[in-house]
Amino acid sequence: MLPAAFSLLADYTEDYAWFPDSASTFSSEVDWLYKVITGIGFVFFVGVIIALFGFALKYRKAKGQKAESQVSHNTPLELAWSVIPSIFLVGMFIFGAKVYLDMRTVPDGSYEVGVQAFKWGWTMDYGRGTFHPELHLLVNEPTKLTMRSSDVIHSLYVPAFRAKKDVVPGRYNYMWFEPTLATEKVSDEDLAAAVKETEESGAEWDYDKYQFTPDGYRFYDLYCAEYCGENHSQMQTVVVVHKTREDLDAWIKKYSSRSDTESLESYGEKLYARRGCSGCHSIDGSPRVGPTWKDAFGSMRALTSGATVKVDENYLRESIIYPKEKIAAGYQPVMPSYKGQLSDDDIDSMIAYMKSLSANAE
Amino acid sequence: MSAGLNIPGATVRDPGFPTERENYLTNSKGVLSWMFTLDHKRIGVMYLIGVTLSFALGGLLAFALRWHLLDPDGTLFTNNIYNQVFTLHGAIMVFLFIIPSIPAALGNFLVPIMLGAKDVAFPRLNLSSFYLWIFGAIFFVMALCASGLDTGWTFYTPYSTTTDTSVIMATLGAFILGFSSIFTGLNFIVTINTMRPPGMTWFRMPLFLWATYATSIIQVLATPVLGITLLLLIAERTMHIGIFDPEYNGDPVTYQHFFWFYSHPAVYIMILPAFGIISEIISVHSHKHIFGYRFIAYSSIAIALLGFLVWGHHMFTAGMSDMTTIIFSALTFTVSVPSAIKVFNWLATMYKGSISLTTPMCYAISFIFLFTIGGLTGLHLGTLATDQHLHDTYFVVAHFHYVMVGGTLVAFLGGLFHWWPKMFGKLYNENGGRISAFLVFLGFNLTFLPQFILGSRGMPRRYATYDPEFATLHTASTHGALILGIGLLVALVVLLMSLVRGKRASANPWGGATLEWNCTSPPPFYNFERPPVVGDPYDFHDIEWDEQNERYVTIEPERKMVPETEPAEAPAHAADKQ
Repeated sequence: MLPAAFSLLADYTEDYAWFPDSASTFSSEVDWLYKVITGIGFVFFVGVIIALFGFALKYRKAKGQKAESQVSHNTPLELAWSVIPSIFLVGMFIFGAKVYLDMRTVPDGSYEVGVQAFKWGWTMDYGRGTFHPELHLLVNEPTKLTMRSSDVIHSLYVPAFRAKKDVVPGRYNYMWFEPTLATEKVSDEDLAAAVKETEESGAEWDYDKYQFTPDGYRFYDLYCAEYCGENHSQMQTVVVVHKTREDLDAWIKKYSSRSDTESLESYGEKLYARRGCSGCHSIDGSPRVGPTWKDAFGSMRALTSGATVKVDENYLRESIIYPKEKIAAGYQPVMPSYKGQLSDDDIDSMIAYMKSLSANAE
Repeated sequence: MSAGLNIPGATVRDPGFPTERENYLTNSKGVLSWMFTLDHKRIGVMYLIGVTLSFALGGLLAFALRWHLLDPDGTLFTNNIYNQVFTLHGAIMVFLFIIPSIPAALGNFLVPIMLGAKDVAFPRLNLSSFYLWIFGAIFFVMALCASGLDTGWTFYTPYSTTTDTSVIMATLGAFILGFSSIFTGLNFIVTINTMRPPGMTWFRMPLFLWATYATSIIQVLATPVLGITLLLLIAERTMHIGIFDPEYNGDPVTYQHFFWFYSHPAVYIMILPAFGIISEIISVHSHKHIFGYRFIAYSSIAIALLGFLVWGHHMFTAGMSDMTTIIFSALTFTVSVPSAIKVFNWLATMYKGSISLTTPMCYAISFIFLFTIGGLTGLHLGTLATDQHLHDTYFVVAHFHYVMVGGTLVAFLGGLFHWWPKMFGKLYNENGGRISAFLVFLGFNLTFLPQFILGSRGMPRRYATYDPEFATLHTASTHGALILGIGLLVALVVLLMSLVRGKRASANPWGGATLEWNCTSPPPFYNFERPPVVGDPYDFHDIEWDEQNERYVTIEPERKMVPETEPAEAPAHAADKQ
């Protein structure tokens, strides 16, 4: 009831909304505290402003007129206005710390998702070899994220959950929350129309345009909040909150591995989009942070070490697992290792996809 | 001297106008006489020109950023260029404008005069700190512009140890600028400790001096930490010594601790002198004794000391231990008490005063309005639970702009208008000045109020592009920036026009009681013709408006010489001795 009321006040898509959707157990507590602090602040502010402008107008005098009073101090008054605000401050501190401690105390038996942050994308690890950039959760279930970074500091931020935590390289940070509002599923017709339109244009899925995922779920935004370089503002993904565990399991199953009927190339194409390759490697020949995949396979490649290497299955496999070993000339050694994150079948699929993009492949 | 006032039993003291050759601007001529000057006033004026140029550069970059953000798809800049522009904007504004503006420009000019001294304690050190600043500023801007920097002004590791932009050049520039800051602080501490004339006790010092003193303590104690941190960063980048970079077993959060141990106190380097200026303006333009002098003076020192204990609130989401986080939250709240005290004191000073709504007073009122918003929104960020949501969003951007721009910049402008007649001996157009204050106030609020909402709705900061639902508020913000820019231009024009065709300023155009109003405008080379009479800096009893000459003068009761007469009888105890 309460979350629903909040979401009425703050519809995400409206220009005038003050808060994003309130979709976790913390969000109502944080919003409550926010409103209390704003309320107290507003009372003080109004007092200050009335005095400020009131005095400025009331005691405005012609040049040279003497002030009515030259009282220079009043100790009881000064002590009062030091002590009374302090009491409010202590209250804010205590409530703030209390809710914060709740945010840091993970309930036993939470649903766990691993998070890998990299320049500039996210990989969520659902266990048993299932990785996907989108974060999928179950409503009313406490969820713990164990987070690590491949390169620089990132910060995982879901405004609808009022939850944020930096992802610091060299250590695991964790956060937890309990979603309280499931995201809707759009109708099959809308989904089919959007999928068809995307396929025809050949572009990547446009989350902003459709406001639902390629599987037809509406979503909450997930941002990177710590500046991390060139495409910091594109380091976004989405959070889908499922209504039932069956629905969530079915979604995870769908992305767990290549089905028997799917070809290596088409699965490789999906992995290209899903595992963050598209952030750095183009398939149309344009240079990005990393070399393009167009016509890469079978070509000769100059390395920063001065050597030249043929781009074949061995080189590609090595570059996926140990990306800093052989750096292509003109590029920085910034690619994170995918060791342990891609199965052999996944790597074979990627290579098959790269072959399909290359005129040099035999 | 002053024919207008004729008060029986009193003499009228008014230094009048300076003669052609006795003021600091004209007593020697030529570029070299400025370049090699040891006069604190000329050094102050040179700093003023320097920081104004820096501010213009930083301001143009700010406007370019806002212009870019009109269009969420970012057609003006690529992501890469946007990142460099916001880094440039932040670095220039922080290191070249906000930190040196009040202490180095206004402070250099005013500290010795308000103290009643001839100059600062170490005039040569003062000149060298100016040249260090010039050298550092040129080097810094060249490094930033020539080879680019995209780390943000905070140089967070490990991004700064891995990016291929010129981190080393830029940090060296900041390192040099740090020395300039330390020298200035050192000079003020020694000046205030040793050069007070007879009668100038600590509690007869104007509050601007208390604020400058507190600021100087921070500059001397905190800046070296920044220097060491930047050197460590350079060592990390070149030699991979493994302090900050996890790839070599370092910890990136260590860098944040080091960095904010300087940079949080640096926030008070920015705002404390502003408090000092506002205390002066409010009291002088209300013609009323400052209320709670000692509370204001002590609160400056309290802020300077507490400011060293709260740096951790920049890392509430970084993954510090929960206990550390909670302790830092508690400490953060303590620093808001002395700030609140000051606001209440200023209001109490205005109460039953005789308020003139001059340009400086308009800026001071605007300061109190903006700083109150800046301070109160700090409570949302000091409170742990709400900070988790608001951290690194536009809410923070709005908050610190309210404190640093609404606070420091507006106070700087107020101070500039307040002391401009003293500095250059010219009166400016009051209406023009008031219009500038109004436009700055309006433009500033229109720019940054929408950003509080943006942040509450979850718009992260430092984003080159953004989701469509944030577009309306960004557009409003950019329009505000345009008005703000126009207001600042008006202020510049008003001040420059005064130099060309302003009326000559009397010694005391506002009726202030601090010592700088006792010398001519502009001041003579050695500040005072004869040692000034030191009294309560906020006692306005003997300051009168001279209607006929349109200026404030100081009235002193006539001291009648008692005729020497022989005592009729020798005192009784004298007789005993015989």
